[in-house]
Amino acid sequence: MNGQARALIESMPNDIGTEAVGPLSFDEAFTLHHRAVFRTARAVVRDSALAEDVTQEVFLRLYRNLNSTPGEELLRAWLLRVTLNVARNTLRGQSRSMVRDNEYHKSTAENGFFVDAPEEDYERRVAIEEARRALDKIKEPMRSCLLLKQQGLSYREIANSLSLKETNVGSLVARGRKEFARVYGKIGGKR
Amino acid sequence: MTRCLDEATLQCYFDGELSIELMESATSHLASCVTCAAAARELEEESALLTTALAAEFEASVPTERLRQRIDAAVLGERVASAQSTEKRSGLAAFFAGLLSFGTQRTLGYASLAVVLAFGAVAGLVMMKDTPENPEVTAENKAPQPAPQPEASAVAAYTPWVDKKPEVQSAETPVLNRPVRNIRQNKATLVNYTPAPTPVKLLPGERAYLQTIARLDSTIQSNAKDMKPSLRAEYERNLAVVDRAIAATRTAAKSNPNDPDAADFMFAAYQSKVDLLNTIADVRAGGPRD
Repeated sequence: MNGQARALIESMPNDIGTEAVGPLSFDEAFTLHHRAVFRTARAVVRDSALAEDVTQEVFLRLYRNLNSTPGEELLRAWLLRVTLNVARNTLRGQSRSMVRDNEYHKSTAENGFFVDAPEEDYERRVAIEEARRALDKIKEPMRSCLLLKQQGLSYREIANSLSLKETNVGSLVARGRKEFARVYGKIGGKR
Repeated sequence: MTRCLDEATLQCYFDGELSIELMESATSHLASCVTCAAAARELEEESALLTTALAAEFEASVPTERLRQRIDAAVLGERVASAQSTEKRSGLAAFFAGLLSFGTQRTLGYASLAVVLAFGAVAGLVMMKDTPENPEVTAENKAPQPAPQPEASAVAAYTPWVDKKPEVQSAETPVLNRPVRNIRQNKATLVNYTPAPTPVKLLPGERAYLQTIARLDSTIQSNAKDMKPSLRAEYERNLAVVDRAIAATRTAAKSNPNDPDAADFMFAAYQSKVDLLNTIADVRAGGPRD
């Protein structure tokens, strides 16, 4: 490493991430993070209507805790930790229902939320089902590590979301990724 | 670096999670170690597979608009609930909760109240003009008039919030807090004359209002002969409107004994009558009663 890079590193604070960048407004938090929350919820509960319920509950909790949530730096991690908790609790209380999901897609298609052609929609749903079946075979917390990693979370955010040590995240992602590739190949995914 | 990279370090390297120092040494090791280079290629392939497999899951549409609407509605419900619980504790501001619900009956009630209060204001102005010899009336007569305004502004300030999807900046609810203070000011008029009613308990609160009304009414009746015919006609017309509002809200409160909103609304009607009587009584007495 050249001297310039070292000087740059030394000039940086040790704990950049712990400093709250400043609280986001509720609207900003929704705009920035509702997709990650909804997609994470849907990946866990496997039902779009339930994922909406979970997303609503997560943002309601954000609203109730606006003064005690972490700063912008770790807000996404906080939201996704709550999302995973709420989604798991929801799963415990509800049995998964493909029928309900199909009805949901039908109603949302009528409202213009999904505009894909039926064949495309079917192909996508098959792909989603295959990936979900492979994910089902992966143990926690590796599975959640993969889900969060695929959403672009840093190791630090993943560690914060799942209450893990940051130094363990790399290992968990690696093991989860290997396991997924193995299982997905067996299920019939492209491998 | 001469040692081979373990699985976790390789993953960290690939994810850009290594420190700059380790990143540099890992890069130089990968350039010279065939085994680690092969492991890195495998990792890349598996990562690409994972990304492709989960793409359908993560790229599926997100119903942003509907989520926004649902969350706005949920937050609104939260605000109303917290406002109601706060008001129940504070007692004096309890009837404000009724202002936040817009049932058909209540909306009609608001309309009638607005009419009543407008009549009251007109009556006050008429009396001011009719009794120029008493300069104190002017100052005094203006005092009760701000009372109806908070109710109107509370509703006006609240309604657009639903449509505009407001920014929820903090747990505090400025839109809701402002009217509560105003209502307290409004209620202060009553506190000067009677013990504060407990709005949740229907009968005791109602009795206090009735006593106040009876006292004010007797004051007015004792001076009735001095009242100008035009003022008296105006007063009786306004009184009839208020009485109708009280009767309607009283029926609603009786048929819904467990609904604090119904009781609150009835008290609001009583308060309107007290305000009207106060205006008339003060004018006839020629000065403030304080």
